[in-house]
Amino acid sequence: MKKNMNALAYISLITASLLFSFPVMAQKQVDDLKKEQDTIKENATTLRDRIGGVEERLATAEGDLAKLTKIKISGYIQAQWQHFEAASSYPDNIFQVRRARIKFQYEPVQGVVFVLQPDFQPGNITIKDAYAIAQDPWLKTFSLWAGKFNRPNYEVEYSSSSREVPERSRVIRAIYPDERAIGAKLEIAPPQIPLKIQLAIFNGNDGLTITDANGNNINAQNTDFDNYKDIMGRVTYAFKLGNIGGLTIGAHGYYGKIKANSLDVLNSDYTYNKTLDNVGQSVKKNWVGFEAQLYFDFLGGLALKGEYIFGVNSTPGYFGSSTVVSPMTSVLKNDTLTLATLTTKTTTGRPAISKNFNGYYVYLIKNIGKRNQVAVRFDYYNPNTKLAAGQIGAAKWDGSSSKMVNNFTYAGTDPVIATNSQTKTVVNNLLKSGTGDIAYSTWTFAYTYFFDDNIKFMISYEIPINRKSGTVDANGNGNVTSNYTVNNIASVYDYSNWIKQNTLTVRMQVKF
Amino acid sequence: MKKMKKAGVSLGILMIALIGFAFMPVPQKITVKGSDTMVILAQKWAEVYMKSHQETIIQVTGGGSGTGISALINGSTDICNSSRPMKQSEMDKLKDRYASLGIEIPCAKDGVTIFLNSSNPVKELTLKQLSNIFSGKTKNWKEVGGPDADIKLYGRENSSGTYVFFKDNVVRTDYAASCQTLPGTAAVVNAVSKDKYGIGYGGAAYAAGVKHCAVKKDDKSTAYVANAETVKAGQYPITRYLYMYLRNRPTGEIKAYIDWILSPEGQKLVTEIGYFPVK
Repeated sequence: MKKNMNALAYISLITASLLFSFPVMAQKQVDDLKKEQDTIKENATTLRDRIGGVEERLATAEGDLAKLTKIKISGYIQAQWQHFEAASSYPDNIFQVRRARIKFQYEPVQGVVFVLQPDFQPGNITIKDAYAIAQDPWLKTFSLWAGKFNRPNYEVEYSSSSREVPERSRVIRAIYPDERAIGAKLEIAPPQIPLKIQLAIFNGNDGLTITDANGNNINAQNTDFDNYKDIMGRVTYAFKLGNIGGLTIGAHGYYGKIKANSLDVLNSDYTYNKTLDNVGQSVKKNWVGFEAQLYFDFLGGLALKGEYIFGVNSTPGYFGSSTVVSPMTSVLKNDTLTLATLTTKTTTGRPAISKNFNGYYVYLIKNIGKRNQVAVRFDYYNPNTKLAAGQIGAAKWDGSSSKMVNNFTYAGTDPVIATNSQTKTVVNNLLKSGTGDIAYSTWTFAYTYFFDDNIKFMISYEIPINRKSGTVDANGNGNVTSNYTVNNIASVYDYSNWIKQNTLTVRMQVKF
Repeated sequence: MKKMKKAGVSLGILMIALIGFAFMPVPQKITVKGSDTMVILAQKWAEVYMKSHQETIIQVTGGGSGTGISALINGSTDICNSSRPMKQSEMDKLKDRYASLGIEIPCAKDGVTIFLNSSNPVKELTLKQLSNIFSGKTKNWKEVGGPDADIKLYGRENSSGTYVFFKDNVVRTDYAASCQTLPGTAAVVNAVSKDKYGIGYGGAAYAAGVKHCAVKKDDKSTAYVANAETVKAGQYPITRYLYMYLRNRPTGEIKAYIDWILSPEGQKLVTEIGYFPVK
């Protein structure tokens, strides 16, 4: 019984303690949960704040990154090996970095672009492009260019990195030396119409070599040679030929003047044209060109491109001088003794000349698959259309003239002594036709292998054919020649024959 | 002698096997790259076409119209999908590289939809209002009849054709710097669905889980929501063609695939995905 009582007491005690402890435990659990909830809340707040911070930093980073996307950098390097077949070439084969250009383009806002493109040649860095473009934000049709940029012409504007043959055609190299010019341009290109109109004004003498009597180039880079500005215009329109290709046609014109730098001006055939009032007056540079590019989808891409240009191009003249002092002479006549000091001053100059020229080029390009391309170009340039082949070397102008100035002073009475300082000026203004008037036809054959989007290899063979020029004497020697010396052996090119000047070029281009 | 015979038989079998192997149909692989807007449609086309043309493997990737056009120019894709027409500068690159203007094939029509969060009381916007909103001139919903809250902009990356199309045809200036760029229209839809004050744009095919905003040309015009009727009738003001571009005229398997896309069977899938057929 006592045992039972004890057991009951124990049970009661345990039950009571359990009953009392449950609310305490439950309360503790609630407190713990509350604490945990608070901690979670706190952590969530911290996390939210952190995410907010990250978002803010991300937005800033995105903003900075967006600024970077406004800068575009591209460029290409053309490294090549050339073999020259001309006898005057020494060395006859060279490795060369033909072009190494990096183009920096910055577009801070839509329609405003800054472009800077240096060309890195070993030992020489030149600025090829440096210009700004502002486009109208409303119609997006008009854009104004200012700085140094390509002259508006198809072959000039067609990038050297894309060209199917190594160099531009001879006529383009002659009338647009260095391709670029400093000036301003208005470009009209409505977004929905395949029409493009370009109107430009340039210094006009960029890339030209203008020499003085000593052979020095007086047309320093980036400064103008004269007050005359040249105007250029180009219009193109592109037609779509259904799904088989397209045709772009266009024309461009050049209206310019250049300081004559000489009083005498000659016609294209080396006859006298006129005498100017002063050397600052101008001679003209006017020409027009007509172009077409046909793209035809025939078992892959096929293109036929060409342009014909004709007009008048002028070269300034120059003055020269040399002085010869002769001994004193004396003459006694009618009781007068005349003492004369003779000074002879010779000026060797060159008149300005305006030459009629024409030229054209035709490309035939065929792409074979994705990686191969073959191209053939025929180009022609006649720098002087007014001279027949036989007249070259013979046509010339010699504008020699002399003028005597007497300056007598008299002294004494019997006899009278007359002293004369006598000056004679001889202007020897010579210009003769020659190798610079010879027309050239050039065939260029090229094969390009596109290794990938960035790398291409090109092998090209260029065959220039000079027009056989001048007259030939009884011994078979022509009168249009040029001398050259290779390894101390002097030789002569006789242009009454075809002069072999072929060039093989193997080029690798890397573009990015 | 027996050995010689055996060797001759073995050689004969080997040669027959090799010749047979040479004449076995080799699977033709077609790569398709470009517009993210078109990626679901292009995948569907490829999937259905490959079922009935098991000798053809079609690989579809997105990346944006600009990326696709670049791939077409650099030769790493056969077909480029683009939700915008090719730019003149891109066509010039194609001309320079392949002496070709490329082939443009409109394959579907799309209405660029304006997405709003379901809770947004704004129902319609004019093109001018959209331009102001996405260029950052209009910053608060209050200015266009909504609540007093900042507008949150969601858009596409600049490689996207939708980005270019919307910029050229609606915004007509630079996007606001605050516009969050997202990879794909699906991401834009997702962001707007979670943001009460968000607004985004993208292809109609993606517009699930958000509200479509009606768009009108100007204050005096009627507002339309992008759907089959309004897009086909030219009533919805932000419509565009979706294109496929090729370097040259298609031949062989690529031609067969494109012909199939333009056939009633291919165009039926256009409707199924949520775009509008061209035929």
